[in-house]
This record gives sequence, C-alpha cells and structure tokens, in this order.
Amino acid sequence: MATNFDRLSAAQIAAGVANGDFTATEVARAALDAVDARDGEVKAFLQVSADLALEAAEATDRARAAGEKLGPLAGVPVAFKDNMHLVGTRTTCASKMLANYESTFTAICVQRMLDAGATPVGKTNMDEFAFGSSTESSAFHPTANPWDTERVPGGSSGGSAAAVAAGEVTVSLGSDTGGSIRQPASLCGVVGMKPTYGAVSRYGVVAFGSSLDQVGPFGRSVEDVALAMNALVAGGRDPWDSTSQPCEADFLAHLNDPVEGRRVGVVPALMEAAGLTDEVRDAVAAAGRALQDQGAELVEVDLPNIASAIAAYYVIAPCEAFSNLARFDGVRYGYQEQGCATLAEQTSLSRAHGFGEEAKRRQMLGAYLLSSGTYDKYYYPAQQVRTLITADYARAYEKCDVILMPAAPRTAFKFGEMSDPTQMYASDLFTISNNIVGNGGVSVPLGLGAQSGLPVSAQLQGPAFADASLLTFARAIERSFSPGGGAPVAPAFAGKGGELA
Amino acid sequence: MKKLAEVLRDWEAVIGLEVHTELTALETKMFCNCRLSHDDEPNTNVCPVCLGMPGALPVPNEKAIESIVMAGLATNCEIQRHSMFYRKHYFYPDMAKNFQTTQGPVAFCMHGRLDLEVSGAGAAERPDATVEKNEDGSYVAPIRILRIHMEEDAAKMVHVGGEEGRITAATESLIDYNRCGTPLIELVTEPDLRTPEEARLFMEKLRQTFLTLGISDCSLENGSMRCDGNISLRRRGSTEFGTKTEMKNINSFKSLHDALEYEICRQAEVLEEGGIVYQETRHWEPSRRRTVVMRVKETADDYRLFPDPDLAPFDLTDEFVERCRARIPELPDAKRDRYMADFGLKRADAAQLAGDPAVAAFFEQALSAAGEKGAETVAKVMVNLVPSYDALTPAQVASLSGLLAEDAITFAQAREVLDAVNGTSEDPAAYVDAHGMRQSTDEGALGAIVDEVLARCTDQVQQYRDGNKKVLGFLVGQCMKAAKGSGNPKAFNKMLAERLEA
Repeated sequence: MATNFDRLSAAQIAAGVANGDFTATEVARAALDAVDARDGEVKAFLQVSADLALEAAEATDRARAAGEKLGPLAGVPVAFKDNMHLVGTRTTCASKMLANYESTFTAICVQRMLDAGATPVGKTNMDEFAFGSSTESSAFHPTANPWDTERVPGGSSGGSAAAVAAGEVTVSLGSDTGGSIRQPASLCGVVGMKPTYGAVSRYGVVAFGSSLDQVGPFGRSVEDVALAMNALVAGGRDPWDSTSQPCEADFLAHLNDPVEGRRVGVVPALMEAAGLTDEVRDAVAAAGRALQDQGAELVEVDLPNIASAIAAYYVIAPCEAFSNLARFDGVRYGYQEQGCATLAEQTSLSRAHGFGEEAKRRQMLGAYLLSSGTYDKYYYPAQQVRTLITADYARAYEKCDVILMPAAPRTAFKFGEMSDPTQMYASDLFTISNNIVGNGGVSVPLGLGAQSGLPVSAQLQGPAFADASLLTFARAIERSFSPGGGAPVAPAFAGKGGELA
Repeated sequence: MKKLAEVLRDWEAVIGLEVHTELTALETKMFCNCRLSHDDEPNTNVCPVCLGMPGALPVPNEKAIESIVMAGLATNCEIQRHSMFYRKHYFYPDMAKNFQTTQGPVAFCMHGRLDLEVSGAGAAERPDATVEKNEDGSYVAPIRILRIHMEEDAAKMVHVGGEEGRITAATESLIDYNRCGTPLIELVTEPDLRTPEEARLFMEKLRQTFLTLGISDCSLENGSMRCDGNISLRRRGSTEFGTKTEMKNINSFKSLHDALEYEICRQAEVLEEGGIVYQETRHWEPSRRRTVVMRVKETADDYRLFPDPDLAPFDLTDEFVERCRARIPELPDAKRDRYMADFGLKRADAAQLAGDPAVAAFFEQALSAAGEKGAETVAKVMVNLVPSYDALTPAQVASLSGLLAEDAITFAQAREVLDAVNGTSEDPAAYVDAHGMRQSTDEGALGAIVDEVLARCTDQVQQYRDGNKKVLGFLVGQCMKAAKGSGNPKAFNKMLAERLEA
C-alpha cells in the first residue's frame, strides 16, 4: 500500500531507508512532489533545490548499498531558512539586497544536518533579514499559514514553520532572535525549538542580533525535533563560532522520562498579560493540568522585570542589526545602485533601495541608539535590564525545572492586520525574554483554539543548557494533546502529492 | 619661519605619538586563518571572514594576544586581565564589514612607560628641560604610554586617475584585501614628548624593543610600523594645552623629525601672528618639506563603538601572562648595561650594539668565536669598522679582532683586510699571511732595522735629543719603510724611544 511521506516521522523515514522499505531517493521525490503540489498555495519556499536533494538522497542510497552505517536523519527531507548558507543555493535573507547572492560556503548547522543524512529540499521564506513576526516583510512574496491561507504563518521563520505544517518537509531549521522559531511554530501548529545560546553554531547563518540569534529545528513531533537537535550538536563545540559552547547532550535518551515529581513554574502575571486571548490562556492552563495529571507539580514563580524585556530587546537587537548589516553596501556583492557619481552616493542608494522598510527602520533605530550621547542612555541600561532579567530567571529556576507559558499571545492573524510595527513587536511578548537571557525554549502544539479553530501552543522555557530536559516536558504535553504522537499536517494539504512510490 | 631652536626658547612643544605596528611575525590574520603576507598577488589571502561575507564569524588569534601582552610587558604596561573587543563603525570599502574590530576603553595593556636617553644636540632642543641633565649634556626623559590595544588592519586601496592618491576624481579604486584583518597593535603615548628629536628617539627605541620581541619586522618604509604625531604649542611656563594638529604620512624616522620640526615652526608662526591653529589632520610632504591640510575635524567622528557580540570578553589568566613574560628576550637597555659591565664599553657604544637585535646577535656570535679575552677588541671592531661593511661573518670579525689584539696588523690595515674579505668566506688571518701583511713584534728581528735607521738619520736623532720629540714619528716611518711594512709600528716606536732615551 502506498504511503504519503507526510505521514511519517523523521525517525520512521530514517528507519525505512535503513531497512530498505523505501529509498532516500523515493522519499526525496515524494517531498519534491509534495512541494510541487502544495507550495503554489503555501509559498513556503524561496528556492527548491531539487538537484541537491536528489544528489544527497542518491548518496545516501549508495552508502546503504555499500553497507555503510547511515546517519540518524538518513533520507529525511529538510528545509533551511534562507539566512543559512548552503553551497549550490542562493542565500537571499528574503531581501532584494541579496536576491542573487550565491552561498560561498555551507553553514555549520546545515552541514551537520547533511552529515546526519538529511536531504536538502530547499530554502524557506522569512521576514527580510529576520526582521518581523509574520513573514510579510519578505521582499519576494508572503507565505500562507497552511491552517488558513488567508493568515500569516508567523515569523520570521514563517517559511520553515509552514513547510513543516503543510507536510512539504519533515523537519526544517529556523533562527530565533526574539521568538522567530517559537512564534511561527505556535501559529502553524508545529514543534519549534530555540536551543540555549551557544548550543548550535551560528557560523554561516547571516547575523541579525549576534548576542540573541540561535538556530533551532521545527518538526511535527517532539521526537523529530530531538533527532534534529542531536544532529545539530553532534561534533561538539564549533571552533568557527567563538560563542559556541560544548553541548553534547543526547536529546533522545530522556525524551520519554516521566515528569512525575518534577516542578513546572507558572508566572501568574504573564497569564494575565494584556493582549493574551482567552483561548490561548485556557489552552496553556490545560497544558499545566495535563502535566499535573502526569505527576508534575505546578509552582508559582515571579519574573518581576520581564515587562522590560521588549524595551531592552528593541534597544539591543537594532544596535546589533545596524552593525551586522553595515557590510551590505553594494561594493563587493549584493544589490548595487548603478550610475552613481561617488562612492558615498553608491553606498547610500544601494542601501536605500536594497533594503525594505522594516530593515531600514531597524538599522536607523540602531544607528541612532549607538550614537554618542544616546548610547549611554539606552544601550547601557538595556544591558543592565538584561542582567536583571537573567537574575530573575535564575531565582525562578531555584523553585522549578521549567516554566510554562504561552508561545504567542494569539493565534494566526490575517495578512495586513498588524500594520503598526510596535503592535507586531508586542507579539513577541512571551518569547523575547528568553533571547535576552540566552536560555532555551520550545513551542508545543495544544491542538486548535476553542474560538479561532486555529493552532494554539504552549511554550516551555528552561535554564541554560537544560534543553534536553525541556524536550522531556514537551513530550509529556504532546502525550496528552497529540495522541498520534505528533501534530497533524494541516488538513488542506495533507496527502496532496508526496506519495511514496 | 623661525628656526626650531629659536621657536623652542619661547614655546613648549607638546607631542604625543600614535604608533601602529602590524604583527608581521605571525602566520595568520587576527580573526581568520588567512596567511599574512605583504608580497602575494592581490586578494589571494582572503576568506569569508576577512572579506566580511554574510554569515562569517571572527575567531581571535591567540598568538596575537601573546604578542601584544609581550609588547605591554616590555613597555612596563599593566596587563589588563579583563578586556574586550569593540566594533568601530565607518562606511569605507577598506574595512569589509564596514566596522573595525578594535578595543574599547580598556585595552590589553594600559599605563606603561619607556625611558628615553637624549644626548648631545638632541638635548639642546629642550632648552629648559624639566628633567635632570647629565654632565655630558644628555638627559633621561620618561615617556608615559597611555595604552596599547589590539585591532585589525584595513585593506589597501589604490586610487587610479584623478588627483594623486585620493579617491576624489579617481576613475577607478582598487582594493587589496590581503592586508585586511592583519593583527595590528596601536600604542598611544601621553603627550610627554617635547622635541622632534625625542619623538624620533622614542620611535627608534620602540622599534628596537618590538624587533627584540620578534613580533614585527617594524618597517616604516613598507608600512608595517606607522606613526601619527599629535602636536600643540604653549607658551613656556603655561600648563594649558594648545590646539593640536595630527601629522600623517610619516614613513621614516627623518620624516617624523622633520614633519614635527616643520609643524612646530608653522604653529609658532601662526600663533605669533595672532592667528588660530585649527584642529586638523595634516599630511607631511617630504619632497616639499611641509605639511598640508588633509581634513578639518569640525566634529568628532561618531564611530558608534559598542562591544562586539561575536567575541566573548577576554579573561587573561596569570599563567598566560607569565608565559608571555617568560618569552621576552633580553631587552636593549638590559643588554646595553651588560655590555658596559662585561666589556668595559662606553655607554653610547654599548647602546649602539645592543639596540639592533641583529647587530647584537652578530656581536655575540663574534664574541664566542673570539673567546673571552678578545671581547674588548671585538667590541671596538664592531663599533668602528663593521658598520661600513655589509657581508662580513662573525667568524671573520673574531679573526680580525684577534690580529688587532696581538698587534699583528694596524687599524689602517684592518680596513684593507676587511675590504678584501667582505662578501667572501676568506679568513682575515689567512689573508694577512698570504699577503705578507703580518707585522713582527720580535725585538731581535726588528733591532737591526732600528739600529740601521738610527745610524743613518743622524740629523733627526740630534733633533730628538734637542727636545723635538715629534721627530720620533719620522723615525718610525723610516723603520716601517725599511721593514717593508712587516714590522709593527708600536714595537718600532717603543724600541726607538728606548734607544734614544738611553
């Protein structure tokens, strides 16, 4: 009987390829077929790398034929956010600035997925240079939420979340600077993990906020995310990234450990936050009860300074963005304004016309905040706030193992619905503090919202480098909310193309 | 314009230097593994990191940190255990990321000091020296060092067409990123220098120190050591600082001296005519021997400095600093003192030998070849003869010194011998023997000649006896002539005197 590859988990695909139930090439063809059938509507991809996918899959099949041991992601179709370099693809950051930029080397995180046997299906859409929470700021096209194509998938890793939710790939990678993995995962009803800062190499990922950026995986199940995490940390600390740390945890080993007797923190003030919808609050409360039912203890904890997180973030992140994006001047690569009389004119017009509105807004904000006289008033206090929030979390984790809270205040919104940038910034309310502190966090689907009928998620946050334990709790929630062992593919796309021959 | 000495009677010049030194002794760049080289084809030693490609990240070169710590220890700096890198932003294609990675308020090395010995004519340029003068007119000037920080060099740009060397009106600008990311240390002095001579001596001493450490080839000509001079004037007795100008394009010790001399005289003229010195950057034109305005700094540039989030702060351990300290060779001042004590050299001669590490190494090889007893002669030869030759070996110098020490040749002959053996592998002793130059001091063999000359030159003998001692020189000459150069003049001198006084 023919199976659609979108019904298989990453572990099932890897096992199937290893056992000879099907070949990696068959899976790659199925994924490419699904992309063909579904992406016209979802538009999760900026590029489909069919040749690379088939080459990698064929190499996997040859390795099996030669009797070699296959990687844990053998034949698993994977998509990469388009701010990650993969030789043979362009890396556009969804910007006109880099519309024709060919990757000159492969990012370490991408390479580690390939080393584990993954099949690279393509590069996914995003907010331009990861500035946004809806993927609407892509210079090329918007991406639809597979659960309701009139709505956004979230962002900035909206393409990666939508591709997994629509069943176009099994796993994808995103990057999370202020919630850019966890928020779109929530809006698309998939699992999305931002590991602890330093756990995954940033080398080869186009930087937005260097002290905040972290790469992480999307999957429809916690187990798939754990498999991807194993691949990302295999090989240990990356010597090419000075901020990388050794983190050789086995994310699968304790995945199904019971949570009995362990403590889950809840922050009452956050559950009353302005903008949080009833259905999200109720669903997260239900997730807390589900953990209680499995023997975990709910404890109240306080994060007194968390209200300042967004303000601190919108100082630190734009400063780093201004600096990181200064290199895009049209001299060596990227969009170059033609016919300029002077270098200064070329630099300024290349930047004026190569960057979109939000990218310019953030860089101008950063340039202002770093200017002399202003720096002391904003940047320095923002770093002090960072220290305070870090201390808040450290105190909270003396009383609990993880903290449970929403991932996003509401379900997916319609295109164009959030026109005020500050309103958009506020949608990162629950995710930003973890980037400020550097800790790990994961979004776990809780089914569909009672009012909206759209995906709702819980978020679990943990202390630094407790990411494996975070997934144990995520798996516990999944046991209660996704009896099938994972979130479903969005019904409008499930089974469209993608049959395994 | 007035002469410098005249200007300095009324005005005090306040000079500070900023010295950039490329760590050319390292194999790789500051934040990537690209090879360091001045000579390779343009843009061959480049990678995503030093080209500022998106997604690339810096990893600091630990050996560069060792080098700067050694530089700091050698200049009596406090080594900061905790410091970090900052980003300094400006839009210009010579810095691929459009920011330079450099250090912030805290540098690896802070608050050091280098003592200058200023002698003779140089000392005269500081008319009311606040320091104590030695008997010979020289004095010691302690120069404080504010900081030495670590940074990366920019790419080299060549502007083709248009005005010479300027981007304005150039038809093409070429960029060579081989230099981009080269580890660079910037040393900033306090404004403690008072004369162009002191500034020149400071640069020389700093260069000698860095050469001894082996961290750079310190070439002013090739730009691996670069110096900017900041200068202002104030009336003698005043403690306020005047407005300073910054001097660029200084690529030799002479340029440094001459540019500062010109600028001191220019500022004095402006001030004495009631004019205003503007805070500006000036370009030294060696061919026209003048400085011209490069740009006026009306406002301070806003570099938007902030800590580099890609590079974790440094916490240097005591072990690391001690490891660096252990690697520091004997520095020029200590070597000079040792030469004075061990070989009885004059301070200036000892300093001359100790200053240049290559010369000192040559000297010590010659010493060990000559053996302990010849040390003073070797030193004398090194100071007086060797500088005129370019291809002598330490063994040749040792051999020649031996001949001089045993009076087998004269100093004049020594030059003739060195002229002949320079650039060859010939032993000076063998050359002397082959050419019959070895002079005898054997009184038995020389006695007959002396007696013959005394018998022949009766007039001169009488003159001597009448008190004209100078005539002895003539008699020595006669002996030398009779011996056809094979007799030692000192020996003839002694024997003639003995016989005449008898």
